[in-house]
Amino acid sequence: MTAPLLETHDLVKDYVIGGEVLHAVNGVSLTIKRGEFVAIMGASGSGKSTFMNMIGCLDIPTSGTLLLDGIDTKTLDSDALAEIRNRKIGFVFQQFNLLARTSALDNVAVPLIYAGLGYTERRERAQAKLEAMGLGNRLQNTPAKLSGGQQQRVAIARALVTDPLMLLADEPTGALDTQTSLDIMGIFQKLNDEGITLIVVTHEPDIAEYAERRIVFRDGRIIEDAAVKSRRRAVAG
Amino acid sequence: MSKLLNSIAGWGVNIAIAMTALRTNLMRSILTTLGVMIGVFSVILAVAVGNGAQVSVTQQIATLGSNMAIVVPQPDSGSGPPRSTDRGRLTERDGRAILRQVSGVSAVAPQIRSSVQLVTPGRSATTQATGATPEYGIVSNVAASEGRFLTDGDVGAAARVVVIGQTVADKLFADANPVGETVRINRVPFKVIGLLESKGSNLGNDNDDQIVVPITTLRQRLQTTAMQGPDDVTLLFVGFEDEDSLLTGQREIKRMLRDRYRVPKGRISPFTVRTTTEIAETTGQVTQIFQAVLVAIASISLLVGGIGIMNIMLVSVTERTREIGLRMALGAKRSDIRNQFLVEAAVLCVIGGAIGLTLAILAAAIFQQVADFPAPVGLDTALMSVAFSAIIGIVFGGYPAIRASRLSPIEALRSE
Repeated sequence: MTAPLLETHDLVKDYVIGGEVLHAVNGVSLTIKRGEFVAIMGASGSGKSTFMNMIGCLDIPTSGTLLLDGIDTKTLDSDALAEIRNRKIGFVFQQFNLLARTSALDNVAVPLIYAGLGYTERRERAQAKLEAMGLGNRLQNTPAKLSGGQQQRVAIARALVTDPLMLLADEPTGALDTQTSLDIMGIFQKLNDEGITLIVVTHEPDIAEYAERRIVFRDGRIIEDAAVKSRRRAVAG
Repeated sequence: MSKLLNSIAGWGVNIAIAMTALRTNLMRSILTTLGVMIGVFSVILAVAVGNGAQVSVTQQIATLGSNMAIVVPQPDSGSGPPRSTDRGRLTERDGRAILRQVSGVSAVAPQIRSSVQLVTPGRSATTQATGATPEYGIVSNVAASEGRFLTDGDVGAAARVVVIGQTVADKLFADANPVGETVRINRVPFKVIGLLESKGSNLGNDNDDQIVVPITTLRQRLQTTAMQGPDDVTLLFVGFEDEDSLLTGQREIKRMLRDRYRVPKGRISPFTVRTTTEIAETTGQVTQIFQAVLVAIASISLLVGGIGIMNIMLVSVTERTREIGLRMALGAKRSDIRNQFLVEAAVLCVIGGAIGLTLAILAAAIFQQVADFPAPVGLDTALMSVAFSAIIGIVFGGYPAIRASRLSPIEALRSE
């Protein structure tokens, strides 16, 4: 029996602003199993992004436990956390965060640089992921020559290039129109069907309906955690 | 082995990232490079000129002749020039005594020095005349490139013959062959019997601006400063067989002169005996100080260039905070981020250094042509400058790079 992919116990993140302590995340305990598709919702300031950053090993909890793939992240130094981000987690951001003036292929290959792969292998794997995203004819395009949807697909290819255990997407459709958003959610559902765990932060209720489980945050706590009824299926490409 | 290859490939990636970043801000990169370029340029040129000065000094010493002692009838004033105030006496007889009594002496060349004016129809020149014997040629490596040098016959007969230096020949005879011509020295007609081998110039001192006449002739016809005796000379060159006998000989000559002139114990000897080795050492020290000062001044511009690098790298880190955050999210370790910025700084510096080096080599070549002064840029200087500029990059790029690597991933990602 393998450990759950993600397990948190009483996770807390405090910020000190102007001498006052702000509990951004205030005691969150939760388990996410392998292969789940989870939507995290909540108003801005609800703590959902802070929680996301901690499970993405970008931010360090003030207290509580975070087990990722059975590893207690408290015991890890910054290099080990970097390696976890590299090997086990793929990030998709609202603003795509692609490197400007850098080709799609090179953008997707960036995580493989830090994984220590050689040039040829980096290119081959990056190209394969881009082709899987339907961008085989856009390999040399820089972000400026790609549409928003295409840029987000490059970003997804980059998130997948190290074959991570889970994909963390922070408002992945926030900068996209309705149809393109639908396409992206379709890609996520297809990836989830193939077995990858997906955690999507969104404030749009209808985007959350593509997930199978919805968690709602308010004031740093979980106020709702339930399966999505009448789950939507996007027409996967 | 594959680990090594990977790490080399890793640096290759860093260089590629650096080149992209530098191209993105091309104008800024060029201006930053300019600082290092000027710094490296001035340091290399300073080293080259300093080296040139040393080469020049070495040549100058070589023109004096090796394994030679110079005896001057003036008290030793340490490493500085002899004081001219309390001039004592020195005679040809002293010279003969040295040749007889001091071991290892191969020849003694007594000399009288005097400033003279030379006139040929329509032209004139002022130069230094050395009244000498044929031994002068042996001891101080002087020979005639055309015609002949002095002979014992010339000296015995106090012949009115002169061997002239190239510069003097140019002034008095232009392009014509001077040998066999007549020149008036202090109104006395002399026959030119030879042209001295050119020894070039060192540190602005023209070795070809001199003439040599028989010591007897100078004494009888050209002497302007009064000597105390008919046998007196300005100085003696004492040639030795080898370096060892030069060292012992120097002491022997000093002792012998004290005895001959009955200098009481405790009194400072009125004679200075300086060897070419000592002269080489002293002037070598002087040129080393000269070089050190030059390099120190030039280094300041390199320092300023380095600070420019640091400034731009700090700006670059601030501008690309978000990129740093992204790279960390994608798995970059702190060391990866640090190396990325270090390489960027080093690339700036090495490019600047390479351009600076190229310009310095060109400038040194031009300098050599125009100023007739050697300024060699050796392979060591070239390698040193490349290493130096890379070190500048690492030192001054180090702080911004470490700052970049210490950023928290999430704060870096959130920055605008």
